[in-house]
Amino acid sequence: MPSEKNLELDELDQLKRGRGPQTKAQPGPDEELDVPSDALGTAARLWSAAAGQRWRLVVAALCSVLYVAGSLGATAYSAGLIDHLWANIQAAFAAGEPFVVSLDNAGIEILTFMGIWTAAWAAYTVQALVMASFAERLNLGLRGQIADKLSRLPLSYYDAHQPGDTISRATNDLDKISEVLQRGLLQLLIAVSMVGGAIILMATYDLMLTGVFVAFALVASGVTKLVTAQTLKLAAARQAALGELTGRVEEAYSGRAVIKAFGREDASMAEIAAAAEDLAETSATADFVTNGIAPAIRLLMRLCQVTVGLLAGGMLVMGQISVGVFQAFFQYVMQASEPLTQLSLTVNMLQGALAAAERVFALVDEPEVVPDPAVPAPLPEPVRGRVAFEHVRFGYASDRPLMRDVSLVAEPGQKVAIVGATGAGKTTLINLLMRFYEVDGGRITLDGVDTRELTRAELRRQFGMVLQDAWLFEGTITENIAYGKLGATREEVEAAARAAHVDFFVRTLPHGYDTMLSNDAENISQGQRQLLTIARAMLTDPAILILDEATSSVDTRTEQAIVRAMEAIMENRTSFVIAHRLSTIVDADLILVMEKGNIIEQGTHEELLAAGGAYAELYRSQFA
Amino acid sequence: MSQSNRTTRDYSKRTSARLLVSLLSPYKKLLLAILFTSICDMTGMLYIPTQLSAMVNVAVNTRDMSALMGHGVAMLIAALVGSGGYITSVFLASRLCAKVGRDLRTRVYDHSLAFSGSDFNSFGTGSMITRTLSDANVVQQTLLMSILMIFPVPIACVISIWLAFSTDVVMGWVLLAVTLAIIAISVAAVAKSAPIFTRLQGFIDNMNTRLRESITGVRVIRAFGKEPHERARLDETFTEYASNAIRVNLVFAVTDSMTFFLMNVVEATIMWVGADRVGAHAMQIGSISALVEYAMLIMMFMMMAQFAILQVPRALACLTRAAEVLDVEPEIEDAAAPAALPAACEAGDEVARFDHVSLRFSDADEDTLHDISFALRRGQTTAIIGNTGSGKSTIAKMLLRFNDVTGGSLSFNGVDVRRITQEELRGRISYVPQKAWLFSGTIADNLRHGDADATDERLWHALDVAQGGFVRELAHGLGTRVAQGGTNFSGGQRQRLAIARALVRRADLYVFDDSFSALDYKTDAALRHALAGELTDAATLIIAQRVSTIHDADQIVVLRDGEVVGLGTHDDLMETCPTYRAIADSQTRGGDANA
Repeated sequence: MPSEKNLELDELDQLKRGRGPQTKAQPGPDEELDVPSDALGTAARLWSAAAGQRWRLVVAALCSVLYVAGSLGATAYSAGLIDHLWANIQAAFAAGEPFVVSLDNAGIEILTFMGIWTAAWAAYTVQALVMASFAERLNLGLRGQIADKLSRLPLSYYDAHQPGDTISRATNDLDKISEVLQRGLLQLLIAVSMVGGAIILMATYDLMLTGVFVAFALVASGVTKLVTAQTLKLAAARQAALGELTGRVEEAYSGRAVIKAFGREDASMAEIAAAAEDLAETSATADFVTNGIAPAIRLLMRLCQVTVGLLAGGMLVMGQISVGVFQAFFQYVMQASEPLTQLSLTVNMLQGALAAAERVFALVDEPEVVPDPAVPAPLPEPVRGRVAFEHVRFGYASDRPLMRDVSLVAEPGQKVAIVGATGAGKTTLINLLMRFYEVDGGRITLDGVDTRELTRAELRRQFGMVLQDAWLFEGTITENIAYGKLGATREEVEAAARAAHVDFFVRTLPHGYDTMLSNDAENISQGQRQLLTIARAMLTDPAILILDEATSSVDTRTEQAIVRAMEAIMENRTSFVIAHRLSTIVDADLILVMEKGNIIEQGTHEELLAAGGAYAELYRSQFA
Repeated sequence: MSQSNRTTRDYSKRTSARLLVSLLSPYKKLLLAILFTSICDMTGMLYIPTQLSAMVNVAVNTRDMSALMGHGVAMLIAALVGSGGYITSVFLASRLCAKVGRDLRTRVYDHSLAFSGSDFNSFGTGSMITRTLSDANVVQQTLLMSILMIFPVPIACVISIWLAFSTDVVMGWVLLAVTLAIIAISVAAVAKSAPIFTRLQGFIDNMNTRLRESITGVRVIRAFGKEPHERARLDETFTEYASNAIRVNLVFAVTDSMTFFLMNVVEATIMWVGADRVGAHAMQIGSISALVEYAMLIMMFMMMAQFAILQVPRALACLTRAAEVLDVEPEIEDAAAPAALPAACEAGDEVARFDHVSLRFSDADEDTLHDISFALRRGQTTAIIGNTGSGKSTIAKMLLRFNDVTGGSLSFNGVDVRRITQEELRGRISYVPQKAWLFSGTIADNLRHGDADATDERLWHALDVAQGGFVRELAHGLGTRVAQGGTNFSGGQRQRLAIARALVRRADLYVFDDSFSALDYKTDAALRHALAGELTDAATLIIAQRVSTIHDADQIVVLRDGEVVGLGTHDDLMETCPTYRAIADSQTRGGDANA
């Protein structure tokens, strides 16, 4: 019964819930709520992932320190320079002569000043160039590891995780890391050394003024901390509002026909407008606070500058400090204010990046499929296609067995049909046969060889498979049909398309076999996509064919034509067919009736009708 | 998409600019306010070094403590006005951009509601969602960034050059030259990096597409043993992305470095020339540092602007994509002076009539439906059967005016459907779509889409007819929450709820578009039996795949490749229509259980 609870999916749901909180991965640009659980360990792992690149980091760190030293030094030097200029100018004025800068007259000092700055500039430039490729190289390595991982993860991982979650780890999370490594890390180093160095140098001029600066700096960092906590909350609120609106829009676009048919356009507009208004409210506040912290801190630092200016100005008037010192001190306040504004933001970014790195490493650390045997058993040549399940036991969660004791034999060339409600275990049977999942007990053999003793590649090479959801990739129709057979000729592709009854349709497309398929443009119907996957399977000419509810979105007549073509091609080859309509499987050599994971009846159509069991009832209800 | 390819670049730039202007035009006052606060911000910011240098000048010349205090107070005011101005700018700009984003989203959505099926499908659901949501997001964020980071730059340049000139004419020229040099470097940097940056965006999209493919297609990939192939494809996109990202970083690094170097030269030059000018009594010693500060601020602003400008092409592309949706003239529009629909008629009267109807989609070479003629009568059940692509569902869509005839005519209660408003027409029809779609809310909310004023009794009755008895067993009955799309119900349950929703509405015509296919045969039979007694004074149209579903219909229309190849009862058609017989045979082959 379709209304029955879906057992298999339930199991998968359990699996999903057990796996963690990320059900829908839609990370926004400023989703940095997370903190790393093991910051040091993750940092150490990133460090080792950067092997071969570490010199860049070391060089960049050295250059950053040089840069800070240079810019602080230049300011210190400028104090003396201004005093020197002022002294010379006053001397000239006193002598009644005009003052003109020349190499001998303060010019060399100005050039020295420029020289110090140039050294700082050189250090900065080396640092920037060296770091330009650091983060992306590191990410490329990690992305390679992820790509590698994707080919070794068990199917249970894919069934239990949303694609968006995994994609976001390989893209957003790594981008977060690279952004921080690219700029944040050095910014932090520069900020700390700049603020520290500036305070020390300020202290050499005047302790009281330095105290004023430090007091303001402490207040500023306190304020930043408070506001940052607030921004994270606001970002989450914005994300929630966006999620709500996205949900509504998706729902409305998918249900367009219903909205229009029932004349609910105005109601729907009002709903969307309300959700959009909500998002506008939250994002206005979030954007204001996020972009408002920096100027608020800057205001604080300007007040600091005013205070310092007044106090130092007074000292200048009293003659306690020189013009040069006054200006240098002021310069330090400015130099230290900017990094201070960014310091706490940078720390936050760093935390977010480490949390992102943890998610990436968690993916890389996922358990992998059992490796193939070192010495795989040979399959007899040619493969005849005898498939046997011997007392197979299996469950998606180990503590909840689904299949308890399943045995069946498909002789070479036989057509095996699998019948049962959704969730009865039909797909599970295929999952085990293809070793997408491993059995918990018993064994499955192909021509007498335990499938676990074969390499997966060798085993799967014997199968052609057409699945319920017609997966095609972004590429031409030809590329898609030829997917399973390297170097297939155009003639072979067209022959397969003809056999799958899709040749005519393809020819009516503007670019024929060179038409690009894309996943979101929906340029061909679901039924046609399915026919293309059938052509793809046909081209590989496998020993065993699996049709997993493949023809369900094709009408009966087309389905029959396809099945006939299949039958011709599959002569003397084993095939497993799962279909909704009993009409397509009445001529099967073996019909398996499944319920709650187990086979409750098996036999031919006539035998099962005569037996008067579940199959007979199902059959009668269909043609009553 | 091909649509964006077709529009030329010039055209698209103008389109996006036009859309931007129309989005901003309701907020002129807000924009003016931002202009004002930005001027406050810039003036305040540049006045701080000005006052500081004045303090130095007072200190070294007159040593007047009260004048010093005066400059201190001026500086305080400058700080408050400047920062206050900026914070207000941020506040106002955040509001403005949030409103613009909201307006763009609702405009696209509202406009899309007038689309016909083919209007909508020319974009596709995925693309429409992107255009409504993420495109608007990009526009909103980029606009905010532009207002905060690009908008103030010309203001800052003008004010600082003016301040420099008012300090000393020679220094004014120096600063003007410096500003021009910085602008030149920035323009070069943007020109160099913009194309790489745009390409980078493409590589990011590629990365996402390939990753998604290799995850959603994992079963197929493994079945074909293509893991190494997919791995290579992924590696290729990753490498492309990395090398491009590194190039962008290098361009940024070089620009940064050049700006930095220029900064050094400028500082030394200002000191050199400035000291000369002090020596010539043209200005005072304290002004040197103020001038240096002006130059530094210009440079800082210009660097920020560079960063923001690089985001602009992407936002313009997003605006263009939204404009493409907004520029679509809906295919189907109501007549200027719509005719009134006559009230319900008597049993046996025609509710709808297809009179030599043809339909050809604008991008097709052949008719989807060709020369279709039949009538739907009150109290009768009409069924349509045919293979996939034969045009069955299109007939239902034409009745609802989701598509209009391109030949012949379709009338409802005797009036051509093109002469009545869509609202009035659809109000007379109750429709169960092929894909049973429910909306988030409660079951009752969903059922009342059929009739907002329906009583609970009506809802329960409709549920009973639709074989929706399972609702009674739910803890919250009619108040049970429905998840988005109705995904918390099974396909069969959704289908029955969708049928109940249609039954709640009192209509002249009930259309069931392949609505029974998700039901098992027993439920299908029970439902048809219950329906037979329910819809006696309306016309019923059933589109079906199973012969068993439509066996008892008063008339059956057999469609093949968009043409009617048979019209009659089951028994007639079994004798006269080979297509019908082939369909029937294919569904009962090998069984001797069928009658």
